[in-house]
Amino acid sequence: MNQSSVPGPAAIAGPGVRAEVALQLENASKIFGHITALNNVNLTANPSEILAIVGDNGAGKSTLLKVLAGVYRADSGTVRVLGRPLHAGSPADARKHGISTVFQDLALIETLDVAFNMFLGRQETFLRIFANRRKMMATAEATLRNYQVNVPSVRVPIGELSGGQRQSVAIARAIREDNPIILLDEPTAALGVRETKNIGALISSLRTEGKAVIIVSHDLEFVFEHCDRIQVMRLGRVHAIRRVSKTNREEIVGLITGALPEDQPEDSTQKMEAK
Amino acid sequence: MSFGPAVARANRWLLGSPEFVVAAVILLFFAFGATQSQQFLNPETWINILRNAVFIGIAGCGATLVLITGGLDLSVGSVFMASAVGGAFLASSGWPTALAMLGAVGIGILVGTVNGILVNYAQISAIIVTLGTLFAVRALAVTATGGSPIGSLPDDFTAVGQGSVFGVPNLIWFAFLVIALAHVVLHYTTFGWNIRATGGNPLAARSMGINTRRLSTIVYAVGGGLAAFAGVLMASRLGSGSPSLGNGFELQVIAAAIIGGTSIFGSIGSIPGTALGALLLSVLTTGLVLLKVDPAMQNFAVGAVIVFAAGIDRLRKTQMFTKSARDTQLVRNHKVQGASK
Repeated sequence: MNQSSVPGPAAIAGPGVRAEVALQLENASKIFGHITALNNVNLTANPSEILAIVGDNGAGKSTLLKVLAGVYRADSGTVRVLGRPLHAGSPADARKHGISTVFQDLALIETLDVAFNMFLGRQETFLRIFANRRKMMATAEATLRNYQVNVPSVRVPIGELSGGQRQSVAIARAIREDNPIILLDEPTAALGVRETKNIGALISSLRTEGKAVIIVSHDLEFVFEHCDRIQVMRLGRVHAIRRVSKTNREEIVGLITGALPEDQPEDSTQKMEAK
Repeated sequence: MSFGPAVARANRWLLGSPEFVVAAVILLFFAFGATQSQQFLNPETWINILRNAVFIGIAGCGATLVLITGGLDLSVGSVFMASAVGGAFLASSGWPTALAMLGAVGIGILVGTVNGILVNYAQISAIIVTLGTLFAVRALAVTATGGSPIGSLPDDFTAVGQGSVFGVPNLIWFAFLVIALAHVVLHYTTFGWNIRATGGNPLAARSMGINTRRLSTIVYAVGGGLAAFAGVLMASRLGSGSPSLGNGFELQVIAAAIIGGTSIFGSIGSIPGTALGALLLSVLTTGLVLLKVDPAMQNFAVGAVIVFAAGIDRLRKTQMFTKSARDTQLVRNHKVQGASK
């Protein structure tokens, strides 16, 4: 696998830079016309941790993910990856600086095969201009096998795979990029029970590899089963942050709907410090 | 005795390998033609058929690349004519043959680049932009020439299109070279795979770091350049550049690509397929003349082949996603059942 161009955590942090926090967003705001999609939002993601971002429709969670992924540029605020400021102008830029994203539409090419999709935008080459298909197929096969992703063959077009298999391929592609931070937008949307379980196992395996994983999801069952921490968004603000082990579904639903009040800033800080 | 597996296999070949189907149709037509006219067995006839296929084949390579990126270029016929006229003008003005030909190809690259910029950066629909350049380029060429052909071309210039090497016309060598090169680019280079990715899902390709706008603009420029190359070869072959050339040529070129299996939905297609598509069109038009079929009905036959090829394209696309649609439906049903319990 050619990952020489992919920066690992140490490479990004650089010598002497402590990388306890994988990703930090500070006071980010984003306004679309008259709508404030994000209002002074903070977020912290740690290595070996799965953070869920939940909220009602319009809460700002997708905008938040897109700001982190480099799709949108925040109007104000800073993003730090392993302590280094990041000014990503595009998803490719963010990826180059350590953030891989699996978008809800998966960004796959249905007419092309699994192997190519695993290397979309970063093909293995020889003599600089030729696509090294053999190497891409071998690497794709090894990666999928390693993460127990079942596809009939890496030569099969994505269009012939089921929703769960496509999701798995998209996640495996993000894993292959070997970035310290992985963002997932609604990874279980439109998946069946068994496929959701497989995706959950795949995501959980990222924790053991030291990745910082951020998931935007409506699926609270999945969140409680696989995530470590929950950040509740409401009306473009961080409404609350809870550790999964110290909360329950009723409380999270209450926070999402606004039945429970927003945490005061010191509450969130205390809860984050109590992790 | 079950015909199921045989039908499934035939179906897979039909949908999975359009090149095979086109080659089979050419052979069948040849076999039928040979029983009707001795001319079909004459090597001269086949040299003529190949020579006629050259122009559609060369321009078809460019059209194939454009179609695979999800684009469309209707200006091919006008570019073909403009470069024939331009090349003839430059050659008759005393430019060396190579420079005159390069200049003519430059006209195509220029028009293709304008098309690409308008489609990709100004975000104007490809069909509108290239329809506009189709009329504009033709109008400019007709105005510049006053509607008269440019003849009396130097021997050097006409020798390119009329000469031969090892008994094979130069035109066929040129076509072979362009087809081989385009095939290598599309099938073996990262650029070629990015062309397919762009045609398959431009948003996904862009979000994964492919500069789809630049890539598509380059492809339009290449398409224009190849149409122009075909045009200047035509001028060389005929010994003149006429502003009446290339009417409807764009449709033949696009037809060759579609007959050869290039999808009008983008991403799918092959250069050998387009070459065979060009050959089939040439075989049909020449063959139907030999069979003394009414010229009006010749166009009917070509039209029928195009519609048939487009139908196969649709069927292939549908079949490709039948499995995933079925699986997704099963998953949804399972979820609905689970939720209702």
